[in-house]
Amino acid sequence: MKTWRRLAIPYLIWGSCMLLLPMLLIVFYSIVQPGNEVTTFSFTLNSYVRFFTDPNFLMILWRSLSVALKTTALCLLIGYPIAYWISRCSKKTQNLMILLITLPMWINMLVRTYAWIGLLSEGGPISIVLGWFGIHNVEILYTETAVLIGMVYNYLPFMVLQIHASLTKMDPSLVEAASDLGASPFQTFWRVIFPLSVPGVISGITLVFLPAISAFFIPKLLGGGGWFLIGNVIENQFITVGEWNFGSAISVIMALIMMLLMGLVRRADRKGAKEAKA
Amino acid sequence: MKQKQGMNKRRPFGATLTTLMMIFFYLPIIFMVVFSFNSSKSLTHFTGFSLRWYEQMFASHDMMNSLYVTIIIAVLATLISTIVGTLTAIGLRYSKKLVRAYVTQINDLPMMNPEIVTAIGLMLLFITFHIERGFTTLLLAHIAFCIPYVMLSVMPKLRQLDPNLADAAMDLGATPFQTLTKVIVPEIMPGIVSGAIIAFTMSFDDFIISYFATGKGVKNLSIMVYTMAKRVNPSINAISTLLVALITVILLAVNIVPVIRKKIAEKHQNDPTYSPAPRKHTARNTLIFALVGAAAACLIFFRPSTGTQPFAGQVLHLYLPGEYISDEMLSNFEQQTGAEVVVDNFDSNEQMYIKVANGESFDVLIPSDYMIQRLIEEDLLLKLDPAKVDEAMVQIDDKVLDMAYDPGNQYSVPYFWGTVGIVYDKNKVSQEDLEKDGWAIFADPKYKGDIYLYDSERDQFMSALKSLGYSMNTSDPEELKQAYEWLENIVKTMEPEIVTDEIIDNMANARKALGMIYSGDATYVMQENDQMGYYLPEEGTNIWTDAMCIPKSAQNPELAYEFINYAASYEAQMINSLYVGYTAANKEVEDELAASEFEGLDSYIPRSGNALDEVFEYNPDSRKAIAEYWSRVKVVASNSR
Repeated sequence: MKTWRRLAIPYLIWGSCMLLLPMLLIVFYSIVQPGNEVTTFSFTLNSYVRFFTDPNFLMILWRSLSVALKTTALCLLIGYPIAYWISRCSKKTQNLMILLITLPMWINMLVRTYAWIGLLSEGGPISIVLGWFGIHNVEILYTETAVLIGMVYNYLPFMVLQIHASLTKMDPSLVEAASDLGASPFQTFWRVIFPLSVPGVISGITLVFLPAISAFFIPKLLGGGGWFLIGNVIENQFITVGEWNFGSAISVIMALIMMLLMGLVRRADRKGAKEAKA
Repeated sequence: MKQKQGMNKRRPFGATLTTLMMIFFYLPIIFMVVFSFNSSKSLTHFTGFSLRWYEQMFASHDMMNSLYVTIIIAVLATLISTIVGTLTAIGLRYSKKLVRAYVTQINDLPMMNPEIVTAIGLMLLFITFHIERGFTTLLLAHIAFCIPYVMLSVMPKLRQLDPNLADAAMDLGATPFQTLTKVIVPEIMPGIVSGAIIAFTMSFDDFIISYFATGKGVKNLSIMVYTMAKRVNPSINAISTLLVALITVILLAVNIVPVIRKKIAEKHQNDPTYSPAPRKHTARNTLIFALVGAAAACLIFFRPSTGTQPFAGQVLHLYLPGEYISDEMLSNFEQQTGAEVVVDNFDSNEQMYIKVANGESFDVLIPSDYMIQRLIEEDLLLKLDPAKVDEAMVQIDDKVLDMAYDPGNQYSVPYFWGTVGIVYDKNKVSQEDLEKDGWAIFADPKYKGDIYLYDSERDQFMSALKSLGYSMNTSDPEELKQAYEWLENIVKTMEPEIVTDEIIDNMANARKALGMIYSGDATYVMQENDQMGYYLPEEGTNIWTDAMCIPKSAQNPELAYEFINYAASYEAQMINSLYVGYTAANKEVEDELAASEFEGLDSYIPRSGNALDEVFEYNPDSRKAIAEYWSRVKVVASNSR
């Protein structure tokens, strides 16, 4: 079977060039002087200094984090009860529900987000419905609310699907055992069901937070041109300003923050799992 | 089971929430489908049933091309990444642990990093090694991020495989190749298929990576929507509806066919001669691929055919601002020459410069005056052969010829020209205020929260400098700093929205009191809504010209000349000027339209005689300062909201 080993060799080369090298290039560009060629360059940390000494960029970083956290929290709060309810339905209903949730995901994200522009615009369907309830003249489009709606709309399915998967994997006899042993439904949920669904919650959080923090077309389409998140700053540096060194530095900062946060979440997960075992 | 359902009945909360979520998920899709049949351009009022947006969609170059690119890329990327991913996974199964760990690590990179980081990495890779971005790089990028997903779904199936299986096959005389294709692959087929499906959806839906990895106007559906979404365009709803229909049909087929099959099998249960198809999965998947293949084949079939025209089968890459050319004019050109035009759009001259300076090749560019000067100074433009553009040049208005940015028009042929001014709602803004404040009306607290700024560094700085009484071509750092503070004050106190082309539809719908706008867009707005006016402050403005030029990187200069001559002609300028509302550079068209279609619209006839009006000149020092200041203004603006 050793002959088959050779099958992996092309990919070792391809993967190094197309996956690893690009990451190294970002780091490289972030620490060299602007205008340098790859062959002649000098190192500098100016790009990083520039980012961390400008309160405006720090504000945007903070806002991106806050929007991503809000999105994740909303998805979790809405997604968990739904996933739980679905997991309690008959097998047939469950399959139908999952199909209904996955179906919209087959349609292009940009296209679905674009539809929200019409829905949320002044005089559009949403404002008409709000008008019935006596709420007039609320501007939703081009505000943070619109951005959050767009984010939750795009990422909620990931959360529901992950939590649902972990809830259905659970051994139903555990729940029965808990109630047989006299636990109230509330206790059963918090002591048995929830801890066992934590892995699903964690991967749901990862799948929502990761794209939410780097989103740039949702804020651009629904937040208007004046609504910058860190993703927009990066896009702007590469597409209209042309300062790749600074743009690369911001990307590195974002990647590091992500790694840090994901590391924390995973540690919390392991700790939670240990406690659940104990 | 009974008990469970009983429990759910006591959970009205969950049921309500799930119902609400389903409404939330499907509302935009229903909205899109309904409004794709709307007879008017409105996205808020349904005025009647019509198929006009579908007609427009099929007639639109951009849309059909992007659909074609999306499907071709998805099919190719899926095929290649499935084959490579599967083979690599098998190879890894028998490789050393270290190799396996390395591959797992690098495969994790695109999955654990924000997508924009992967995208930028690939963009830097292509730029560093001077690989021209276009269809090939788009495909390479898609293969790159698809393979890890394929491997992720194949590997677990391989681990489940009995390690002795391959040995047994070989002992029985199978060659390694036979063992692979006849034993291993069939065993892990479900993993391969689900990997392929994931790869297909990832590629089909991708935006961020494609956006950074592509070039030369090659765009998929996502990029098309992203660049077009600034103007109301119900054709986007039409193309989305088409996709929804296609996907629903495929999914229904996938889910219903097995049920029917089962029914048939049950019917034939007593019939000993009937034998059901051996692998229902294979049938199901063949169906998916057949449908996708058929769709791709259709699209290839619909591509413009090559004929006997002079430039049959050739391609012209055109790079110009968004909403700046009519589809009708493009198809006329294609019919006359037999060439195919691939259009790429930019938001600002600066964005165009970055692509051109980095060697992306286009045949014709339509930048503005000062940018043409910069391109000439940096030796990026081809000197035009006077004999080949003579015919075009004689038709152009003298007022836009022989300007300081290109003396003697050695490099450029004017396309449109105009001014930058203030579009305002006559019901909300008084003429006196405009005359009293001039450009400073943007800082008038009366209109707080009711103004648009235009996302163009040059023009916004022009308004600031003019308001402060300076030349807009100043390079004095102190004057530029004051202009920055003038703008910073506005974004901090006035809650402006910074927009680009969105302003056109929004002002036509009277969403805000006033905004900064290009004259041609104002013409369109005023035609749509007669309550709108256009004002040019006495403090002066920018008289601009956008002109056609051929970059040195052009791959088909002959076709470029052909295009420039046609685009400057009476026929083309008439179609375009009527379509976009900008002032034609062709003298005859300009005079005719000023006296007919656009009569009385002062935005169509550029002002002459104000000594304070200027033309932009390129200056590297002030350019850099303005670019940095402007990106700062935008950051401050978004922090003030």
